[in-house]
Amino acid sequence: MAGIGFELRKLMKGDSYSSLLMAYAYAGIISSGPWVLSIIAVLLIGLISLPVVIPALLVSKFQTVVTYLIAFSLILTGLVQLSFTRYSADRIFEKEHYRLLPNLNGLLLVVIVVSGLFSYPIGLLAFPQQSLFFRLLFAATFVVLCCVWVTAILLSGLKAYKAILVNFALGYGSALLLAFLLRHGNLEGLLLAFLAGQFILLLGMFWVVFRGYPSRIFIEFDFMGSGRMYRSLMLTGLFYNLGIWMDKFIFWIHPVTGSNVIGPLRASLVYDLPVFLAYLAIIPGMAVFLVRIETDFVEFYDRFYDAVREGGSLSYIQEMKDEMVRVAREGLYDIVKIQAIATIVVIVAGRKLLQWAGISEIHLPLLSIQVVATGFQVVLLGLLNIFFYLDKRNRVLLLTALFTVLNLGLTLLSIWMGPYYYGYGFALALMVTIAIGMALLDYDLGKLEYETFMLQ
Amino acid sequence: MVDIFPKAKQVDVMLLLEGTFPYVSGGVSSWVHQIIKGFPDLDFGAVFIGSKADEYGEIKYALPPNLKHLQVHYLHDEHITPPVAPCAGDPHGFEILQRLHSWFANPHPDGLPAELKQASFYLKAKGGVDYSQFLYADRSWQYICSLYRERCTDPSFVDYFWTVRNMHAPIWQLAAIAGSLIPARAYHTVSTGYAGFLGGLLHHHAERPLILSEHGIYTKERRIDIFNNEWIQDNRNAMQRDPTEISYFRDLWIRFFETLGRFCYDASGQIVSLYEGVRQRQISDGALPEKISVVPNGIDVARFAPLRTARPAKPPKVLALLGRVVPIKDVKTYIRAIRVLVNHIPELEGWVVGPDGEDPEYAAECRALVLSLDLADCVRFTGFMNPVDLFPQIGLLVLSSISEGLPLVALEGFAAGVPLVSTDVGACRQLIEGVGEQDQALGVAGAVVPINNPQALAVACLSLLQNQQAWDQASQAAITRVETFYTQQQMFARYHALYQEALS
Repeated sequence: MAGIGFELRKLMKGDSYSSLLMAYAYAGIISSGPWVLSIIAVLLIGLISLPVVIPALLVSKFQTVVTYLIAFSLILTGLVQLSFTRYSADRIFEKEHYRLLPNLNGLLLVVIVVSGLFSYPIGLLAFPQQSLFFRLLFAATFVVLCCVWVTAILLSGLKAYKAILVNFALGYGSALLLAFLLRHGNLEGLLLAFLAGQFILLLGMFWVVFRGYPSRIFIEFDFMGSGRMYRSLMLTGLFYNLGIWMDKFIFWIHPVTGSNVIGPLRASLVYDLPVFLAYLAIIPGMAVFLVRIETDFVEFYDRFYDAVREGGSLSYIQEMKDEMVRVAREGLYDIVKIQAIATIVVIVAGRKLLQWAGISEIHLPLLSIQVVATGFQVVLLGLLNIFFYLDKRNRVLLLTALFTVLNLGLTLLSIWMGPYYYGYGFALALMVTIAIGMALLDYDLGKLEYETFMLQ
Repeated sequence: MVDIFPKAKQVDVMLLLEGTFPYVSGGVSSWVHQIIKGFPDLDFGAVFIGSKADEYGEIKYALPPNLKHLQVHYLHDEHITPPVAPCAGDPHGFEILQRLHSWFANPHPDGLPAELKQASFYLKAKGGVDYSQFLYADRSWQYICSLYRERCTDPSFVDYFWTVRNMHAPIWQLAAIAGSLIPARAYHTVSTGYAGFLGGLLHHHAERPLILSEHGIYTKERRIDIFNNEWIQDNRNAMQRDPTEISYFRDLWIRFFETLGRFCYDASGQIVSLYEGVRQRQISDGALPEKISVVPNGIDVARFAPLRTARPAKPPKVLALLGRVVPIKDVKTYIRAIRVLVNHIPELEGWVVGPDGEDPEYAAECRALVLSLDLADCVRFTGFMNPVDLFPQIGLLVLSSISEGLPLVALEGFAAGVPLVSTDVGACRQLIEGVGEQDQALGVAGAVVPINNPQALAVACLSLLQNQQAWDQASQAAITRVETFYTQQQMFARYHALYQEALS
């Protein structure tokens, strides 16, 4: 599988505006496709069932259940997302491709057991009003989602973005189709459709891994060996996902902003919809991020380390470092610029867009600040990615932990200050984290040659 | 590794030995052994400095009882580096380092910063530059970068960086040794280089005198090593490379050892050269002439004297090259000369007496050369032989070396009445022809030939072997010369005086 950077560069070879546009469009689809698809699909499943038999209340119950399942499966697998990506990258670097499949199987077994231990007792005990079938579906969907994230993260570590996208389209397409067919089956029918779609998605990704990285061994637990998974990366993955969901949780739990939907699951009528819509607005930012980091930054990053290893002169090494700094800066600025445009569009045309989608205009102020915040989230993602390239694992851990704590504190503060400030907690938490991250990156890049040579 | 060597609280004379006694056999090691045994009233200590532990086998000498202390250090083993800890670096310490390097570039007497002479400079974090700072400090990095920009003509920074690091790392190891070594009343180093640098540090640190005895010229030997060394990188491309200019990194290594040498010359109170050639070289390398005295090797003549009569009246038609089978001895020229000689004297034999394990590739080449010249019956590789057994069986001793000091085997051969045919290297001409009127009057104890010239070597050997009168004359000159100028008693007397002065 060719790296994404390679494909993007090929697209940009045309050296015209249209080829550049193509590259960015491609990057946008590749990088944002999976979650755009999932958000749209979940909304659509609701929409297609609405006019038929299912009362509106059931649709929101379905959406809440899926949101919870996604959120908690992401947080739980956050423990292994980054660490297993790094494990796979290390194996590939050591030309041990045959290790990928058996260790993925090993990890999935662990994930299935652990997630099952969580989801079955909770699923069975937390929803006494629901049917047994629903409870079993709830538990099974959680386990399958966990497997989907782990497999998808392996594929994205292998830069197989296209394969991920295709499978997400396939999985959510099937879910949509099944939801239409099962729309008379109440909540259970919708959830079954979702589960089946996830299962198809998982099988599709399996197929890619089995075909691309065959192995003589079926299952192996090499990744659990000492020094194979970085503890700091496990914590980072956990904090990152926890941090991103923290403000949503608070809005759900807080008595002022949240209300019970199904069993113990709560949702926030004021907060949830604008937040998920805002995530649709980061597609351009993600495209820029992918192009800038995976092509420009990586190019100078490679040149810098080649110069170090292969005997470049000091001035050439420093020149490449400066180029790396320049490209990192431009990449982050470009994300800011493109997200600023997206923000302006939402602020100017937001009222129209909401009207057009049939959503109450009450959400407009929150949507505006959320678009700013999700734009920041892309910047943070870019920043963290640069730290990963520089192998500054402790920096990323610090930043994600800081972000989680800030998001918790500032979101609580925003609720206490009143509805006008909703969303500012999340945005401010991101802003502070980015500011500190920028200062650290500046310091680290300044010391890059020194650390590369003297402190390895 | 269990340290089974003797340990003492203090000694009279601490010997600093780099790559010699007791792990390596050879001229210098034998000489060290001889000196320790020659002064049974003095307590000796010794610090052996080697490169890597696995390059040395068992010790090659029985340790004399008055060697009260022996410790062994390896500079290029995976030594323990301090834990990686970024730091800024002591500003004062690095300022001193800069002054040191400018002193190296423009040496003048008394210019060496006093702080640098103390081992503690390299061991303390404040006011000095300890090993951790050298490895990890930002100032260290800045300094290496600025020197690269200022001086390095090779483009590869990574090679420059590691050359500088590897080159300097032993200095901190040596400083640590200097800081913890037991007290001694005098220090005696048998070479410059790392041992000489350690001697310099010890002298300044303990404020006791340092004696330097140089047998060969350390920097010259290193230079040969460095030129033959393929791991020293040369990254200049065809356009940048000037064939008359050696690789920058080779030059850097050579200058580094020259600098260590100068530090040692500066610290030494007495510098002893083995012969005049060494003295000249030392002066040109920066030693003050008034410190230098020439003390040749001396041998125990009585041990070899009885052998003179053990030989048949007509000298045997046997030549012997006594030494290790290594390129520096140029054994191939010797073998080619045997080819020429056998054409004239079919029954002639040429022996190569010495171990051939040090450079197996070269030894194999020599054996192949013997076969291709059809000399299988005439050339023998005997391995090590006791000289006492060897000398009665041979007619001439041959040295075809491209580099020598003052070879002990030549003196031992002389004592047994065996003339020497040698290339014109080191002190060989002095041994064969004599220096000064009185010495030269004794006559010629063999013949001197140019290096790498088998024909000349063969002709010289032939004229001695085929002319009984010339041989007898040379043998007599050899015996008289060694008895007059190169006895152990004379050497001990000179060193007795040197030690007396240093120990007082």
